[in-house]
Amino acid sequence: MYRSQRLALRYFAAAITLFGVMTAAGLLSALYYVDSSLLYNVFDFQMAKILHINTLVIWLLMGFIGAVYWFLPRELGREVVGIWLAEVLFWIFCAAVAVVAVVFIFVQYGSSDQFSMWFINQGRKYVEAPRWAAVGIVAVVLTFVYNVTATAWRARRMTGILWVLILDLVPLSVLYLDAFPQITNMSHDLYWWWWLVHMWVEGTWEVLIGCLMAWSLMELMGTSRRIVEAWLYIEVMMVLGTGILGLGHHYFWIGTPQYWLGIGGFFSALEPLPLLGMVVHAVYDAGTHHMKTTNRPAFYWVLAEAFGNFIGAGVWGFMMTLPQINLYSHGTQWTVSHGHFAFWGAYGCGVIAIIYLVLQQTRKAQNFDSRAWKWSFALLNLGLVGMVGGLLVAGITQAIYERAQGGSTLQAFVVASENQWFQSGMYARVIFGLLFAIGYLVLVYDLLVIGKRAAVAQRTQEASA
Amino acid sequence: MMPANLVGTAVALGLFVLAGGAYGVLYTASVARSSILLERASYLCYVSQLLIALAVCLVSPLGLLWKLFIATSALAYGFIPPVTWRLLEKMHHQHAQ
Repeated sequence: MYRSQRLALRYFAAAITLFGVMTAAGLLSALYYVDSSLLYNVFDFQMAKILHINTLVIWLLMGFIGAVYWFLPRELGREVVGIWLAEVLFWIFCAAVAVVAVVFIFVQYGSSDQFSMWFINQGRKYVEAPRWAAVGIVAVVLTFVYNVTATAWRARRMTGILWVLILDLVPLSVLYLDAFPQITNMSHDLYWWWWLVHMWVEGTWEVLIGCLMAWSLMELMGTSRRIVEAWLYIEVMMVLGTGILGLGHHYFWIGTPQYWLGIGGFFSALEPLPLLGMVVHAVYDAGTHHMKTTNRPAFYWVLAEAFGNFIGAGVWGFMMTLPQINLYSHGTQWTVSHGHFAFWGAYGCGVIAIIYLVLQQTRKAQNFDSRAWKWSFALLNLGLVGMVGGLLVAGITQAIYERAQGGSTLQAFVVASENQWFQSGMYARVIFGLLFAIGYLVLVYDLLVIGKRAAVAQRTQEASA
Repeated sequence: MMPANLVGTAVALGLFVLAGGAYGVLYTASVARSSILLERASYLCYVSQLLIALAVCLVSPLGLLWKLFIATSALAYGFIPPVTWRLLEKMHHQHAQ
C-alpha cells in the first residue's frame, strides 16, 4: 500500500468522525425547535447550527481529499509527490478543526472586532471558521492541488479523469478565497459569497464527485476507462452548463438586478436534466451487471447517490426554484429540506460508497457483506427521508402562513412557528433524526468490522488448502 | 399568488420532475429486461408528466414564458431516456469492438 493510501484511510477516519459530530449537532439543532428554552444562554441554537453546517462541509471535503489520495497512486502507478507535506498538513488540519470546534463550543462569540474575526468566528455563514483556520484550509487545499498536479507531472502520464480533476481543482481552490473579503454592502457581500457556496456545491463538487464516481465504477464494476471518461465529459458539460448560471436562483432576493430572475429560474430549472441522465446511467449499469457485484454495500450506496441526487437536488429543487414560488419558499424550512436531501444524495452517499470500496481492498475480503450495512443503509436513508419530509411540511406551512398570508412580518413568523403543522414537522424531524443517528452508529460499527472475519476465514482456507 | 396556488404549483412542479425520473428509470429497466409491462409503466409515467405539465400551463398562475418553458421541457424529458440509452449502448458497443 502506498503512503498516500494510508493517508487516505486517516482522512476517511477523520471524515466519519466529523460525520458523527455533524449528526449530533444537527440533532441538537432540531431539539431547539421543540424546546426553545433548551440550553438557553449556555449553548444557543446558532452555535449548534454553525457546528452542524461547518462539520458538514469539512467531513465531505475530507472524504473527497481522502478519496483522491486513495485513487491517485493507483491511477498513475507511483507514490504521490510531496506526500510528507500532505501527511503533516493532515494532522494540522485535524488539530485546527478540533481547536475551532472547542472555540465554537466554549468561547462561541466575541465583540465586533478584528480579534474575533481572526480567532473566534469569521462571521460568514457556512465558512464561520476564524480567519487563522481559513488560512489553514487554503494551505491544505493548495498542498492537495500541488500533490495531484506534481504527481501527474512527474509520472509523465495524464488520463481523462485526471485532466478533469486538475482543471476542477483550480476553481475549487480559488473560489474558497471568497471566504475572505470584508464587504460592508450586504448585496455585494452576498453576491460574491454565493460564488463560494453555490459554485462549490453545484459546480466544482459535482465535478469532483463525478471524477471519484468514475474511478469507483471502474473498480466496482470493471467498467472500461473509455466509457467512464466519455460519460464524465458529457456529465461535466451538462452539470456546468446548467449549474454555473443556476447560481442566479440565489440572486433573486438579495438586491441584484431583475434579469437574474429569468436567468436563475431558467438555468436552475434545467439542472434536473443531467441528473436524469445519471439515473438512467445508474440503472443501465445495474441492469448490465444484473445487480451482481462483489461489494454490495458500495454498489447500493452508489445507486443511492444517483437516486438521492436526482430526488434531493432535482425534484426538491424544482419545486421551489422558479421565482414565483421561491419568493415564498426561500429561507424557510422548505429550503432546509431541499438542502438536506441534496447534500445527502449528491455527496454523503458517494463518500460512504467510496469508503466501502476502499475497505474491501484494504481488508482483502472477497465476500464483502454483512447484515449491519443493510441496517445502517436502511436507517440512514429512512431517517433522512423522514427528516426532509418533516421539514417540507414545516416549510410549506411557513410559506403559506408566514409569507403568502402574513406578508413576512415578525408577527407572521411567530404565527407560522406556532402552527400545529409546523410543530408536527419539527417533531417528525427530531424522531427521524434519532433514527438517522442510530443508523450512523450502526454504520461506524459496520465500517470497523465488515470483511474482517471473511478475510481471516479466506486466509485460513487458503492456508489449509 | 394565493396560498393554495403556491402549494398546488410547487407540488405539481415536484411531481413533474418525479414523473420524469420514474419514466427514465422504468424505461431503462424495461429495455434492460425486455419487459413490455415495465415499458408500458414507463410510458404511463411520461403521460402523467405531460398531464402535469398541461395542468401547470392551464391552471397555475405562472407567467406565459415559464409555462412555455415547462411545456418545452416536458417534451425534452421524453427524449432523454431513449437518447441516453442509445448513447450508452453505442459507447459499450464501440468499446467491445
